[in-house]
Amino acid sequence: MEYLASDKIAIVDLSTGDITEDELDEDLVLDKIGGAGITKHLYDQHVSAHPTENGPIVLGTGLLTGTLVPGASLGILTAKSPSTGKVSHMPLNLDAGMELKYSGFDYIVIKGSADKPVYLWIHDGILDINDAGDLWGKDTWAATDHIRSEMGDDLIQVLSIGQAGENGSDLAQIGINYWQSADRFGFGRLCGEKNLKLIAIRGMGLLEISEPEAFMEDCAELIAAIRSNTTTPNQGIAAVSAALGEEDLGDWLGPLTHRHMACFNTPVATNTFIFTDEDPALLKETIVTEPGFLLTDIFPLVALKKAGLSAKDAGLVLKACAKYGIDGAAVAELSAKSGLTRPEEIEKTLPDLKGPVESTGKSIFSPWAAVGQDINANWERRQAVAYVLGLHPIWFQITTELTEEKLLDLAGLGSEMEFTQETLDEVIEDILA
Amino acid sequence: MRIFWLKISEIKSQIRSNRASQQQIKMASRRQETEFRIPKIGIYTGKGASHSWLWFVEVFERLGFYDLSFLTEADLVKDSLEKVDVLAISGGDTFAIAEALGPQGAKRLKTFITRGGLYLGSCAGAYLPLNSSKEHLNHFNFVAAKITNLTKTLPEAHGMKEKSCTCYGCSFIFHAVREAVEVATSGLPPFGKSATFTAPLYGGPPMTVANPASVMATYTAFTDKTLFLVDQKLAENTLLGNAAVIRGKMGHGHLHLYGPHFEHPHFREANLFLADAMMRDLPNQTAPAANPEDGMNILSGSLKQRFIRDFKRELSNSRIVAAGLEMLPLKWTIGNKVYETGKIRVFLEALWQRIRSFEKERLILVRAGQDDLLVQRALHVTKSIRQIKKALDQKTGAQKADTLKTATLLFSLLNKTSALFLEIYFRSKFFQFGKIEYEGSYGQIKKMVA
Amino acid sequence: MGIQIDALKCIACMACELACGYHRDDAFALLSSCIVPYRGREKKNYVGIILKEEDSLVAARPEGVEINRIGEEQDPEKEADASAKPMLLRESCDLCDDVDDGPLCITFCPTGAISMA
Repeated sequence: MEYLASDKIAIVDLSTGDITEDELDEDLVLDKIGGAGITKHLYDQHVSAHPTENGPIVLGTGLLTGTLVPGASLGILTAKSPSTGKVSHMPLNLDAGMELKYSGFDYIVIKGSADKPVYLWIHDGILDINDAGDLWGKDTWAATDHIRSEMGDDLIQVLSIGQAGENGSDLAQIGINYWQSADRFGFGRLCGEKNLKLIAIRGMGLLEISEPEAFMEDCAELIAAIRSNTTTPNQGIAAVSAALGEEDLGDWLGPLTHRHMACFNTPVATNTFIFTDEDPALLKETIVTEPGFLLTDIFPLVALKKAGLSAKDAGLVLKACAKYGIDGAAVAELSAKSGLTRPEEIEKTLPDLKGPVESTGKSIFSPWAAVGQDINANWERRQAVAYVLGLHPIWFQITTELTEEKLLDLAGLGSEMEFTQETLDEVIEDILA
Repeated sequence: MRIFWLKISEIKSQIRSNRASQQQIKMASRRQETEFRIPKIGIYTGKGASHSWLWFVEVFERLGFYDLSFLTEADLVKDSLEKVDVLAISGGDTFAIAEALGPQGAKRLKTFITRGGLYLGSCAGAYLPLNSSKEHLNHFNFVAAKITNLTKTLPEAHGMKEKSCTCYGCSFIFHAVREAVEVATSGLPPFGKSATFTAPLYGGPPMTVANPASVMATYTAFTDKTLFLVDQKLAENTLLGNAAVIRGKMGHGHLHLYGPHFEHPHFREANLFLADAMMRDLPNQTAPAANPEDGMNILSGSLKQRFIRDFKRELSNSRIVAAGLEMLPLKWTIGNKVYETGKIRVFLEALWQRIRSFEKERLILVRAGQDDLLVQRALHVTKSIRQIKKALDQKTGAQKADTLKTATLLFSLLNKTSALFLEIYFRSKFFQFGKIEYEGSYGQIKKMVA
Repeated sequence: MGIQIDALKCIACMACELACGYHRDDAFALLSSCIVPYRGREKKNYVGIILKEEDSLVAARPEGVEINRIGEEQDPEKEADASAKPMLLRESCDLCDDVDDGPLCITFCPTGAISMA
């Protein structure tokens, strides 16, 4: 696969320590396109051939991930959810999807379980299984700091579990760097079962484009249309929440808001950094080591607000959840049921919290992008398209410029392959089956 | 580890049939068919060499001149010069190079040139053989040329103070400008017609000589990229009209001394001139072919893959840290040279850009233990760079000062690691290649192969 | 005429870095860009943009823009100190002089944080 790919699939067996590599077959891409289309295929391929107690975890990226298509930031993690029992997909957003795309691998299948704690170091087409003895027991912040310090780079993207995953909590989450992810499926527990503490990713690769001028022209037209579209939401999690039909959190978050941060190449910032321990108006670099928290998940915010917490307390709760490696949406739901409102009280309960929780949702896609709406067939289709082509799922819900036709066109221009609407329909049907 | 041994006789036979110096390539020039041979080129990578020798490597690789060896001061003092046609010394710290080579090295060099060898000196390598009474340099004194940037009173520096001058006994060598300057070739025989193009100057000498026929090229003008380190008038007086490139003769051999870096890969016309001139002044008799020693290992299949993977792992690890370091404000003065963090990446990228091609080679040729040594060195490079990054993260003056020792070790390691990798790389390429992609005519190289 | 950066409008999406990388490499890559959102202070949410120009380094910090001549001594405590010739291997900004619509970083910035002065 010459274009828009590294042409490499890695299969890691944690039980034996073996790592094998395959080429990314063009026929597979023609058949399944990319993203969740292929991660699902690889999951099916490897779970049936080598049945284990817990199935494989498959990491991948969409066909357009890492390009200048607006919102093309998405990585995907596909696995069988310990909570729901269904093969489900969570988004790898912020800069993690981009980093995976440039890491030298298109897809990574992680099978089996290690005898003792390990971590994966994925860099420039090399995949290492390293000892995680020093990391086990650390919260996600300490683990991320440790890896970045050891490897000598602050831009390494880290998917990690905290003590929740290590202890087998079914609400355990795989976090992205220091922040909450959209893992509603208990994948943190799955990693814990595999003795997989974290996956560190860093890549300085290059993606060739089949028809670069035409591709870039289309991308430029898209971004121009997006910029001039007056219905494009404002920046920040509060505005996006309102755009998705949920509460406007603007007044509640406003006094603590520092800056809005976007996921890779996503025109609308769906994340907001609040300062809980520093003056949010401060522009120069603070001397406080942990001044606040990056809010990445609308649902728990809304839930905590409805439970009567202040924005600061909500931030502190979510920070504690992120560090412990537990799904903030589940914590918000369960805390509301118990009537807890103080961060220190909520934090104490984290090790004992158990599901099931409604925030998991009923879909195989994380309901992270579905706040305020019913998860219906239309929503699922949109999510499927986003996960196959590599688009930010929240952004894809609110944009009007990115049509399926346009995206298939871009996929063709970029990859020198032809993708029809029929193929896309089949891939989606297969994913949703 | 399981070693795949070829009989030595098979190796010799293979090398003989592929060796470019044994292979006659018929070239059709505009006017005549001419035969020429591919030169054996030694590139100095020892003490005092900075990173610019990598530019020579790039240029020679583009020309298909794969018969390269990478020589340290210890190699030069021994007998390595008997096995090459050309010795190229690029930029760095002239005094450190001179001291490292010492009287023995100078003697070897003199013998090499006198018996017909060609010396290419660029920047620091150009200063080295010029007549001088200064300690260490006084072992050389091969070329009676004067430099015009020598002064007893240091002129006012307009920028880059640490790069604007070098101490020279009780005097100073000052560097009037940096970056691209315009040069005009003399067009004097045997070097064809005159031409004007640009080449970058990073501290190399402007020269005057008694015999105008020795001048191969002259500094003629500055460009819009030229950075003035002194008053412009002084820069003009120091450079313009003076020799940028001179040709010396010693016995049967020659010296080509380049003030600007004609080997910088971004300056194609300068590269072509350098290559052309080199081909003109190659020794008539090629240096004897080096015999393969016992202990030459051929790696193929899974052994090859494992070796390359292990090396690539560390190269990637180093590269990742180095990419982050390039944003950080740190530089070190090692000897007389200033090194910035970005220079670390220069070495690493030079190796990284060749990894893919290296992975595709069917066979890799290593001397016994070279594969393990290369991986070990790469690991030490990674450790050193990470150490520097950790020290910078501490953000206190004392810990920052500590990085000088690590940096000194690191740049030496980078030189050694790069040289070792390139030795294996070119040996493997040379062993397997069946044709040379090269166009041009003897004496006027027209095109370089990408 | 040159690039102007309002760091407070920046949402660190890296579209500028990717667009510039495309301009350098005719492919999607990030190593050659001359404009880079500085992301190394993630926990502190301190993000700025660094731009390498011909003779100077523009550090668009949230608290204000600093322009330093490359090679001149500045405060060694600050990142992107131009005296140490940062981004050595990256070419300096050429304002995408071969692109009809001008600098690609401006074209692809979704918030208008980058503009022509």
